[in-house]
Formats: sequence, C-alpha cells, structure tokens
Amino acid sequence: MQVKKILSSKSMKFLTLLLSSMLIASASALVYYSLNMTSTITTATADNVYFVDGADALTAGTSIFNNNKSATLASLKAYPNMTMSYDDPLRVRNNHTSTSFTVRLRHVSRTGNAADFEFISFTLNTTTTASLNYTSNGATWTDPSASGWVTVSPNTEYAIIVQTRANATATVDQIATIEIAVDVQL
Amino acid sequence: MAPTILPEFFVLLGTDLFLLLSLLTCLLEDRFPKALPYVFQIAAVIGFGHLMISKEFLAIFGEYMRFWYCFFYLLVALINIVAINVRFATSQKMWLLAKAWAGTITFPSIMISVFFVSNYGYVSSAEFPLLLLQVGLVISAIMIGVSAAFFLNPDLITKFRRRKEVN
Repeated sequence: MQVKKILSSKSMKFLTLLLSSMLIASASALVYYSLNMTSTITTATADNVYFVDGADALTAGTSIFNNNKSATLASLKAYPNMTMSYDDPLRVRNNHTSTSFTVRLRHVSRTGNAADFEFISFTLNTTTTASLNYTSNGATWTDPSASGWVTVSPNTEYAIIVQTRANATATVDQIATIEIAVDVQL
Repeated sequence: MAPTILPEFFVLLGTDLFLLLSLLTCLLEDRFPKALPYVFQIAAVIGFGHLMISKEFLAIFGEYMRFWYCFFYLLVALINIVAINVRFATSQKMWLLAKAWAGTITFPSIMISVFFVSNYGYVSSAEFPLLLLQVGLVISAIMIGVSAAFFLNPDLITKFRRRKEVN
C-alpha cells in the first residue's frame, strides 16, 4: 500500500517524466549531431586529381591538355620479340592536401592491326597495382575489363607504366591507337 | 564561412519545448488532465522519430521540404504553449499564473524560434521565400507580446487612453 502510494505520488511521476525527458532530449541531440556531421563533410572535386608529365614524357611524346584532364602519348614504340617499357611517361597526381581518392583504369576504345602486336599494357603503380592489358593472339585483340580501384594518397604522384611488344612478324609503321580513362571516385 | 544550422534544428527545438511542457504540466497537474504530461512526452518522441526519418532520408528529401515539415513541428509546439497560456487566462481565470507563463515560457519560446528561423533564412541565403516568413514571425511575436500584456493587464489600456486624452 505504501509502495503504491509512493509510486503514484507527484514527485515520483515528475521524476519518471524527468528521466524520460532527459533520455529523449539526449537521443534527439545525438541524432541531430550525427546529421550535422553528415551534412558538413567537405566534398572534394575531381579537380584534385589530374595528369602531370613523368620523367620519360619527352621519350614517350606525352602532351597534356584540357586542364590536365587529358593526355596523349604519341611516340610510344613497339619492337618485335622485345618488351619495351616506359616507366614514367605520365603521372596521376592527387593534389589534395589531406584527402585520398580511389582511381581505376578503364578501357574506352582501341584500333590497330592485331597481327602486328602481342600486347600493350598500362599499369598505375600505387601501393597496389591497377592495370589494363591489351593482348593479341595474332588474329584478334582481347580488350581488358576495368581495373580494380586503387588509392592515391594526398599530395602524391604515381606513374603510369606503359609496356609494348610487337609480333615477330610485324611490319614497319603499324599503328595501334588505344584510349583509356582514369576514373576518379570522390 | 558561418556555421549553418540544419532544418532539423527546429524539430530539436520543438522536441525540447514539448518536454518542457510535459514537465510543467506535471508540476501543475491539478489544473490539467492527468494524461497531458504523457501526451506531451509522446509528442516529443514523435519529434525524435521525425529526426530519425530525416537522417535516413537526408539525401532524398530536399532542403525545402525538410525545412517546412520541421518548421511545422516547431509551430505545433509553439501553438501548444500559447494554448496553455490562453487556457490559464480564460477558462481558469488564473491571471497571475497566466502572466508568469506568458513572461517565462510563451514569449521567450516564440522569440527564440523567431531568432533561429531568421538566422536560418539569413545563412541559407533564402533559397525559398523566407523573407515573408521572417517578417511575419517577428510581427506575430511582437503582436503576441503586446496583446498578452494588454490582455493580462487591462489597466494598461485605461492608462494609455488617459494619457492620450491629456495630450
């Protein structure tokens, strides 16, 4: 009887309401805080990741245009029975001071006589490797699927390595044109 | 850049006002239905649910829509405060309590709400027609304040008239 009286007393009701009020107010504030954090994440633009010349840019005939968003490597050579490697013709730079991005290499288009080439590969060397390897069996090309995503650290440059090899029976002055894309994930 | 407040801030404010009402109506339980404090608690929980929904669908709901449903919730909380004030003043004839309520709860709550809505409109550069809303809220708050003063102290009107006649 005494317990029932205490439980139904005004102070007890008030205490219950006070506790539940504190709980609701704290939980609401916490949700609002997390909402605020969600909304104030700084978004970076793709402008932070772009191409720059590598050490072998001259040899590879690298030219960069479109605000460093596009590049052509016009002087790459391929020799029969020999793998030609350009270790640093072009670099991908993450110019952001603190944010890492993930990038991948993706096939866009390809032309060229399959009978004259064995392979042409592009490799972006970060801590992990992203590569596109175009291979020919002498009759047809095999176009690669997009590479996996790799992380490019802030304020760092990574070389895209290009390797070529012509077929043993290749004729002179044959041209293969390959277009690849470097996708940047924000 | 000035730190922005999100539209959900109005829900947070409304939730806190409902909790305040719950506690105050519990303290004044002799003058209200016994279930009223719990009704206000439920209203506060609805506000919490409101925030959760906003959080989950943040990317889907546009800011315009978020502002209006959050503002509506705050408005409901303010209407409840004013309604209790009116109840004190009219049906229960408790002038002293009505005056105290108007001075300590109704007027500050409305002014705080006006301040934050104005601030939100200013920081958001009024992507929606907020100017009208700000002006409307400020005028409403002033009108409520003046009306409450005259309503709760009718002698003020008499004093005002006398002064006019003297002039």
